[in-house]
Amino acid sequence: MLNTWSKEQIMEISLSEYKSITAYDELFDTNLRPRSAAQPLFDYLNSLDANELLARRQAVEANIMAMGITFTIYSEAGNIDRAWPFDVIPRVMSRTEWDPIQEGLKQRLTALNLFINDLYNKQQIIKDGVFPREVLEGSVNFRPQCVGVTPRFGVWAHICGTDLVRDRDGTVYVLEDNLRVPSGVSYMLENRQIMKRIFPEVFRTTSILPVDDYPTQLYQTLAALSPRPGDQPVIAVLTPGIYNSAYFEHSYLAQQMGAHLVEGQDLLVGTDDRVYMKNIFGLQQVDVIYRRIDDHFLDPEVFSPDSMLGVPGLMRAWRNGNVGIANAPGAGVADDKVVYAFVPQIIRYYLDQDPILANVPSYLCMYPDQCEHVLKNLDKLVVKPANESGGYGMMIGPRADETERVKFAELIRANPRNYMAQPTLEISTAPTLVDGKLAPRHLDLRPFILQSDKLYVTTGGLTRVALRQGSLVVNSSQGGGSKDTWIVEEMPSC
Amino acid sequence: MLARAAQNLYWMARYLERAENTARLINSTTDVLLDLPQGATLGWDTLIKAVGLDESFSKRYSQANEDSIMRFMIEDEQNPSSILSCVKYARENTRTLRELLPEDLWECINSLYLYLRANANQATTSRRERYLVLNNVIAKRHAIVGLISGVMAHDLAYQFIRLGRNIERADMTTRILDINFAVSIPKDIALYEMSIERLWMSTLKALSAYQTYRRRKAVHVSSKNVIDFLINDEHFPRSLLYCLNEMESCLRVVPFSDTVLNTVRNSKAGLQRLLSDNLHNGELHELLDLTQKDLGEINAALNKQYFHAKVGQQQSQSDAEMVQ
Repeated sequence: MLNTWSKEQIMEISLSEYKSITAYDELFDTNLRPRSAAQPLFDYLNSLDANELLARRQAVEANIMAMGITFTIYSEAGNIDRAWPFDVIPRVMSRTEWDPIQEGLKQRLTALNLFINDLYNKQQIIKDGVFPREVLEGSVNFRPQCVGVTPRFGVWAHICGTDLVRDRDGTVYVLEDNLRVPSGVSYMLENRQIMKRIFPEVFRTTSILPVDDYPTQLYQTLAALSPRPGDQPVIAVLTPGIYNSAYFEHSYLAQQMGAHLVEGQDLLVGTDDRVYMKNIFGLQQVDVIYRRIDDHFLDPEVFSPDSMLGVPGLMRAWRNGNVGIANAPGAGVADDKVVYAFVPQIIRYYLDQDPILANVPSYLCMYPDQCEHVLKNLDKLVVKPANESGGYGMMIGPRADETERVKFAELIRANPRNYMAQPTLEISTAPTLVDGKLAPRHLDLRPFILQSDKLYVTTGGLTRVALRQGSLVVNSSQGGGSKDTWIVEEMPSC
Repeated sequence: MLARAAQNLYWMARYLERAENTARLINSTTDVLLDLPQGATLGWDTLIKAVGLDESFSKRYSQANEDSIMRFMIEDEQNPSSILSCVKYARENTRTLRELLPEDLWECINSLYLYLRANANQATTSRRERYLVLNNVIAKRHAIVGLISGVMAHDLAYQFIRLGRNIERADMTTRILDINFAVSIPKDIALYEMSIERLWMSTLKALSAYQTYRRRKAVHVSSKNVIDFLINDEHFPRSLLYCLNEMESCLRVVPFSDTVLNTVRNSKAGLQRLLSDNLHNGELHELLDLTQKDLGEINAALNKQYFHAKVGQQQSQSDAEMVQ
């Protein structure tokens, strides 16, 4: 019985909750035995008594407050800070399982970048009939201002956050690719910092792969975009400012990379079409901008004229090759839930390879037959708008009431291009500390993939967990929390 | 360095200095109030007059008593100079500067903020708690200064912090010197002399200057000596001369500082007028006003020189290296 959890053990499991759930659990098999990659974790947890674990959890909370790890919820006006909700039980995955996922992510981003570059140039994929022109024409993220540009290495999306979920049968699916300004990587890094501070012992007994080379990799990815030769390009992180929900991350990454953290007001574009930073002794040329503001606000001369966040002339400087911008303006064209449905074809078309990672089967409402299917099965499907992120504007059919379904049917009929639907996945769970007990909570995983001259994938990524019982929404903007993610090297069993 | 970053560093330092100075001022005033004879009229409102906030106070509070004034000066977030506001602004500034500051500094300032937010209310209602909480604020602020001086590179960013700290410190010294102007003690009180001495003693204590004063002047606490010491002592870190010398030494290592240096040297020359014999309270008050105007000039010169880069001011490569 050594491997099984019993009532006597201090870390009680909420068995009733676990039994009632049919989802795949990341740490337990169906007999509630730890999966082999998670065994050392449970050996360690077993060695703690209940008070010890609760004390550590309190220490974690105190640490999060002290470290000032925060984010903002938009509806809480005036409240800049909210402590980052963190669960102390890590999510564990073996390296043998992770390696092919990592390859799949690289394959996917490579293909997506070829696709974006094609859309802004020859549009061969459309001419070859693989990708329908009407999808492009209906895209709100296609920027005509970017047509004809080929950024360095042909890469548009340099930083990608891809959301993965696991279904009931254990298959890992890509849920979406965030190619605009994906956030969360600083929490991945801070989560590990917290775990190392509070549970140093477990890192001795388990072979947990480190995650902390991300800032260096990000720096190198950005440095490679510099239009000027030289060892030390001037790199700036462009933030909308302290009221943005991800400001913590912007300042954190700037600090970790030794980059400048700038706001639009700190930059200007000269008559020479170069970008300058307003320094104490005058103006200094900027080589690469890691922008954390949306396309629309980048350059009031080209996009929203009333943007206070951007820099007039920035697009001019970029088009002339005088500054690298990551992600490139317009990269979001491939970050669209309708485009998503075509990714397997896109991979085959550009790389002549089978996709390594599975796509969730998707019904596009732009096609009348698929739309019909969606409208008939609203109670079974998840309906998503094409261009929203953060879990806004979607409907989970089986959980919606009749009024909501009627509302969505109308929305779909009014604008079919803007909607797609997928079967409701039973996304996996992991034990999470709730009221002193381990209870199953649904989660996803967001690895971050970098591409410029090289490709890089974070070791694991950010695990986001829906803290409310039964909830499927993991977005921090909607009350989700997070866990440290361990990719572990399994010791050969004896 | 980014112009806005330099400005934020400068203001972060000013806010922290202001928070500490306000805490000191409140503690020493509480202390002297306990000792004054019946009939003397050092009121709590002296405090808000000293820091120049009497108008904004009377807009928000109908009665000027210990409770309302303490609330206003310690925890009122509508008062931009309350201790809590200062610490909050310093923290917000630090947040925008994390890439320039030692990592632990953010946690230190964050911890000061969290402490104050949790305890500010107690500090306004109970004198005993107040003393404790404000002393903790001072101690935590010292930990921050310690980190800055012991861990941070003494580079340009550091010089802007030092500039902010010293201009704010000089400003507060002029205000604390001015406090006694607002006090009237009835002449017929037998303890007049002693009361006056107590007042100036509290002035020294508000600046943690009492001990050094005793050692360096080794005499009675008399107004002339106190004024001379707090204005002109070369070694005491809160004297006006010392603060201005500090600023001068910062500006000597910051490039392109000629204009700003001139304003500092003007202020130093102006100190002489405060040292003439037989100044009565009214005259001192007016002269201190002039000193505060001089400090305002330094602030404006810094603003113009460093905090607003303009087109046509392209840096040469060598300038850029200096920034690194």
